[in-house]
Amino acid sequence: MTPLIILLALLVLVVLLFLLTRSVRAGRTVVLRPLTSYEGLAGQVGRAIESGRQLHLTLGQASLVGTASPTSVSAAAVLDHLAKDGCANGTPPLVTVGEGTLLPLAQANIQHALAEAGRTGDFDLSLTQFIAHDTDPFAYGAGVAAVLQQQRVASNIMVGRFGPELALMVEAASRQAIDQVVGTDDPTALAVATAATDNVLIGEELFATSAYLEGSASQIASLQLQDILRWIVVLFILGAAVYQLV
Amino acid sequence: MKLKQSIAVFTAVFFGLLTLVALLFNVGGLSSVILGWVSFLAAIALILGVMNLLLVHLNRVFKEQNLYSGVLVLSILGVFAAAVLDGLTGSDSVNLLFSWVQAPLEAALASLLAVFLLLAGVQLLKRQRTGWAVLFGLTAVLMLLGQALLNSRLLPGGLRAPVNQVVEFVQNVVVTAGLRGLLIGVALGTLLLSLRLLMGVERPYNK
Repeated sequence: MTPLIILLALLVLVVLLFLLTRSVRAGRTVVLRPLTSYEGLAGQVGRAIESGRQLHLTLGQASLVGTASPTSVSAAAVLDHLAKDGCANGTPPLVTVGEGTLLPLAQANIQHALAEAGRTGDFDLSLTQFIAHDTDPFAYGAGVAAVLQQQRVASNIMVGRFGPELALMVEAASRQAIDQVVGTDDPTALAVATAATDNVLIGEELFATSAYLEGSASQIASLQLQDILRWIVVLFILGAAVYQLV
Repeated sequence: MKLKQSIAVFTAVFFGLLTLVALLFNVGGLSSVILGWVSFLAAIALILGVMNLLLVHLNRVFKEQNLYSGVLVLSILGVFAAAVLDGLTGSDSVNLLFSWVQAPLEAALASLLAVFLLLAGVQLLKRQRTGWAVLFGLTAVLMLLGQALLNSRLLPGGLRAPVNQVVEFVQNVVVTAGLRGLLIGVALGTLLLSLRLLMGVERPYNK
């Protein structure tokens, strides 16, 4: 019985998503709440172009075949946006990954962005670098720290799944006085990031990336549905708390 | 949509829905076959990753004469040679390398984290002297001090219970409430992103 209920709930969500998407396409105005971290993110490419240095983006350690894959898919949306802007202006970002399946994703994104900018010949193997496997978080942290120290990057953007090893990376970036943006869904990494920089995409904000950066109807509708579900959860929790008290 | 893109979207949506149905209705054989294929592809991706690491650093050795890259290349080749030797002779040199080199290095890095976190906390207070930053610092100090005192004999017996209560309140009520709020948000975000992937609206693979 339970699988059928789950399937039914998913179908209801799909229908709601479809209806909200249609309503956004029809011209209903939607105001997204301002997030300072996205404004910080948007300015990074411009600063990289002005300084003539590359922007560094690391995608974390969440495998595309594991349960944390949505985190990496959201990180890929950030890469997509930065790669398009950077490649169009002749400064493709330097991308590092901490998991094998993220490497083909990063390479495809950079190659696609270069092709769109008519710079296919600019692709270089060193633009996308594998640092370590997800079983070695400290090797990954130290590897990214080494990249930040040796490659003289303009800014450091870290989006995806990280753990406490994030401290090694943010410390290396702080020592180089590099601007940082961190987006993750891991509570430990968020604590580290909050102490290190003001530009933090906290948990669900990371999943809202594509809607803020691209703003297509389906992405905005998805954000709205997320808000509706959040209110349902809040009301359910409050109701349960009141029921327990009475 | 181009034919190549349509094939990619169809394949992703088809296998996504198939895995969902197999997991929901407990069709063990089907989901394990698909997960087996996926694991195989992930293993291939890992090999490609290691080759990328080797090529990038070989390039740096020859073009920039980078010493660190040289050490990394030698380490990769050394471990590879040790693994081949293990296979041929039945020795255990890869495990020895792991126990004597990698494990101590990772332990050292882990112990450095406390220092880095302390530095980050100080930088936060220097960067923004807001009420939230002060609260962040005070909570960190309170928790560290509380834990240290509870594990030492310096704390008088009469104070042990109230200190313990404060530490437990922060951990069990304040931190847990924040964490649950965060995790509910992440779960909702994950759910909707997964739905968009299953509907073929979000296509990170379509490059």
